[in-house]
Amino acid sequence: MGSRYLLRKLAQAFLTVVLIVLVNFVLFRAMPGSPERILLGRNPHVSAEALAQTKARWGLDKPLFPDQFVAYVDATLHGDLGFSYAYRGKPVTAVLADRVGPTLLLFGLGELIAIIVGLAIGAYSGWRRGGFVDYVGNGVSLVLYSMPYFLIGMGLLVVFATGLGWFPTYGMMTPGMTYKDTLDQTLDIGGHLALPLATVSIGLIGQYSILMRASVIETLSDDYITTARAKGIRDIAILRRHALPNAMLPAVTLIAVNLGYVVAGAITAEKVFSWPGLGTLTVEALEARDFPVLQGIFLLLSISVVVANLIADLVYGLLDPRVRT
Amino acid sequence: MSAPILTAGQLRRERLALRARGARDFARRFGRRREGVIGVAILVLYVLLAIAPSFFVGSLETAVTASGGRLEPPGTVHLLGTDEIGRDILNLTVHGARVSMVIGLLATVVTVLLGVVVGIISGFVGGWVDTILMRLTDFFLVLPTFVLALVMTPIIRDMLGGGGEILGVRISLLVIVVAIGITSWASTARIIRSQTLSIRERAFVDRARVIGAGPGRMMRTHILPNVMNLVVANAVLVFAGAVLTETGLSYLGLGDPFQPSWGQILNAADQAGAPGLGAWWYLVPPGASIVLVVLAFTLVGGALDDVLNPRRAGRR
Repeated sequence: MGSRYLLRKLAQAFLTVVLIVLVNFVLFRAMPGSPERILLGRNPHVSAEALAQTKARWGLDKPLFPDQFVAYVDATLHGDLGFSYAYRGKPVTAVLADRVGPTLLLFGLGELIAIIVGLAIGAYSGWRRGGFVDYVGNGVSLVLYSMPYFLIGMGLLVVFATGLGWFPTYGMMTPGMTYKDTLDQTLDIGGHLALPLATVSIGLIGQYSILMRASVIETLSDDYITTARAKGIRDIAILRRHALPNAMLPAVTLIAVNLGYVVAGAITAEKVFSWPGLGTLTVEALEARDFPVLQGIFLLLSISVVVANLIADLVYGLLDPRVRT
Repeated sequence: MSAPILTAGQLRRERLALRARGARDFARRFGRRREGVIGVAILVLYVLLAIAPSFFVGSLETAVTASGGRLEPPGTVHLLGTDEIGRDILNLTVHGARVSMVIGLLATVVTVLLGVVVGIISGFVGGWVDTILMRLTDFFLVLPTFVLALVMTPIIRDMLGGGGEILGVRISLLVIVVAIGITSWASTARIIRSQTLSIRERAFVDRARVIGAGPGRMMRTHILPNVMNLVVANAVLVFAGAVLTETGLSYLGLGDPFQPSWGQILNAADQAGAPGLGAWWYLVPPGASIVLVVLAFTLVGGALDDVLNPRRAGRR
């Protein structure tokens, strides 16, 4: 991987983050109602003096650009995202921090399961194209691909939680429960986690197996596979040593590119199970019109996706020697 | 080489015959793709429902005109059961078809229009215009656009005010259209740009330039017709995405209860606790409709892509 490739990717990611911060600033200013009004509550009998005072106190008397913008960027760089309306003035960063853990747990595990299972199913269907697994797998994947995550979740909820009563219907822990030990607590969380995790994994498996199948089929039509066949290498060895490593590359990129959509699924899937992560927080903030928290979520999620894309690009550069420009 | 000289009338007839042959050829090749035909059949059904919902199930039931009891399971009177205030689920779902499809259609128009304009200008003009537009496109490609739409929708709505209607569509729903359009044009722009780049180099564009056509005219009459196939194939896939995005936004509570889309019905079901009460009949009709419509669009889009996309023509 040449240093020029590295530099270009870093510069692109940096530029994107700058744009995200800019969008965040503009969106926040485009909000209806002037900030000083919100700060003073919805009291119509505010003297002009008090209004001016409040404006001066919060720097709202200064011009939007550059003063307010510089102050905003400075605050954002120092991790100050403002204060939540709904959580009685708690800093946005603290509100977000409480919710990151559950989301990471759910989506980290979900991605892991989906990548392993999805890529395996996709690789096998591409390899035995037209076979039974391909036929069934492709059909199921297409249907899953057309299904919003929350629908999968609602289906699982109705069948396994309400109908069969195997799993709890909402939350991450049983409310009001005291645990004997960590194992007890882990089991309780595990029970709550099962259905949301299944939702996320099933939703992703459809996407990933479609990607991997296409990639394997593409790779198998390449000349070096024909060459390998002509040399008399066994089928399974061709798949493992020649086809799969090359087919993995585009799949890895596409997984990174798809992350933005995964985030969308994350939010809706969490709402179904009231999983106390960022997705449920988003819905709460939407209902309470808690704009500072919404902005914080947007900033956090977008930057995470940009960073994940950057990592994928760099990994790609390491794996594929052809990427040097 | 002496080509026969044609009169204007003959030329017109010739052109018509060519078009007709092209259409027949297209229909034949599309008809050979079974999944595409199935997709079209599903879509025809839902388009009929969307055009005349009242013809099939009567006018939209409200809390006042609700015809049944609370959360009745499917039976002979209410084929698909009722919701928490006694409205017929079949009635809601059929009317939801119109709302979901209209929002999907409008959002697709906005998305494709933005994407085509940006793509053609970027590819045709080139230079720094291209650089700036493509950086912007990359930005929107990387961004989790659903989250952006989620943040934008309440802001735009509070600015415009939620009430009122334009052409029978409530403003709060048009806000969703705008939010989807602004956030999802980027991949269309990419595809159109790359096609524009290759068409720009063709001889007929040079000829137009030589006889003095301006850039605007060349983009309109020479580039646009030649990317149209791609635009159509792409629009079908955009439609599927738009329906999904709308569903997600409404499910999270950004829909309009007065004009319920399928996502909005599912949001209401969630609020009423339908999954916890085991009221599956409240979830299955709108849910199955969403899956069927998105699946149909994906199937048709895939088939169209195979038939229309010049790069794919050689492959199976």
